[in-house]
Amino acid sequence: MPQLDTSTWSITILSMIITLFLVFQLKVSKYYFPEDPKPALVATPKPATPWEKKWTKIYFPLLLPL
Amino acid sequence: MNENLFSSFITPVMMGLPIVIVIVMFPSIMFPSPNRLINNRLISIQQWLVQLTSKQMLAIHNQKGQTWALMLMSLILFIGSTNLLGLLPHSFTPTTQLSLNLGMAIPLWAGTVITGFRYKTKASLAHFLPRGTPLPLIPMLIIIETISLFIQPMALAVRLTANITAGHLLIHLIGGATLALMNISAATAMVTFMILILLTILEFAVALIQAYVFTLLVSLYLHDNT
Repeated sequence: MPQLDTSTWSITILSMIITLFLVFQLKVSKYYFPEDPKPALVATPKPATPWEKKWTKIYFPLLLPL
Repeated sequence: MNENLFSSFITPVMMGLPIVIVIVMFPSIMFPSPNRLINNRLISIQQWLVQLTSKQMLAIHNQKGQTWALMLMSLILFIGSTNLLGLLPHSFTPTTQLSLNLGMAIPLWAGTVITGFRYKTKASLAHFLPRGTPLPLIPMLIIIETISLFIQPMALAVRLTANITAGHLLIHLIGGATLALMNISAATAMVTFMILILLTILEFAVALIQAYVFTLLVSLYLHDNT
């Protein structure tokens, strides 16, 4: 059976090691799989109620001249 | 007859030059490297297939096992493409060589075992003794488990060699029988030709299945050990 002729074993194994561990891995390592970016939920700020548009003195009770 | 039948399995040497190197490296030409942001159809299809296969195969592994992703994917690509290219007439299939399969199986299996030893020594040694064995059976069971561990790489290599070699031999034999029968009786030759067609379809399946089985078993040994 010609597979058992060990004189050719070293060159076969050497070429396999080069192909499998070098060539194929260099090719497959260049594959890239693009992620699917999902839009992040931006928290909408609570809308300022109309009477809070302007802070006046009366909102700071401790600043009232009492 | 013997000499002719096995002559396709002799390692090719042309005028003293070992062209087996070129033949083993040839399937890598069928997988061009992606160089662009958007690649052509061939590369995109191959990338998609690799992604599909890797998702399927690496789902059972934890973080440590998934570092083997590159190795397993190039393994399945190498064996699959080599087997498929070997179905062309007059081609040489490197995976019919026991040397190549042993050279693949032993280092990969040894890598998984050594990973298991380094990473979780007690658990990997515990594989030798299944839970709940009666006390007097323990020595014999350890011997049996050790033998079954060491036979794993041999089985990997011989399984791949024998399957691909047997398939190629059958194709040779039945093809030769069809040719010989053509002069004797056309009807029998047609029947034999049908058998040949069915066999070739089987060999396509076997080519892919053997690649898958090899890689799956390596990944299973890895799973045991990570």
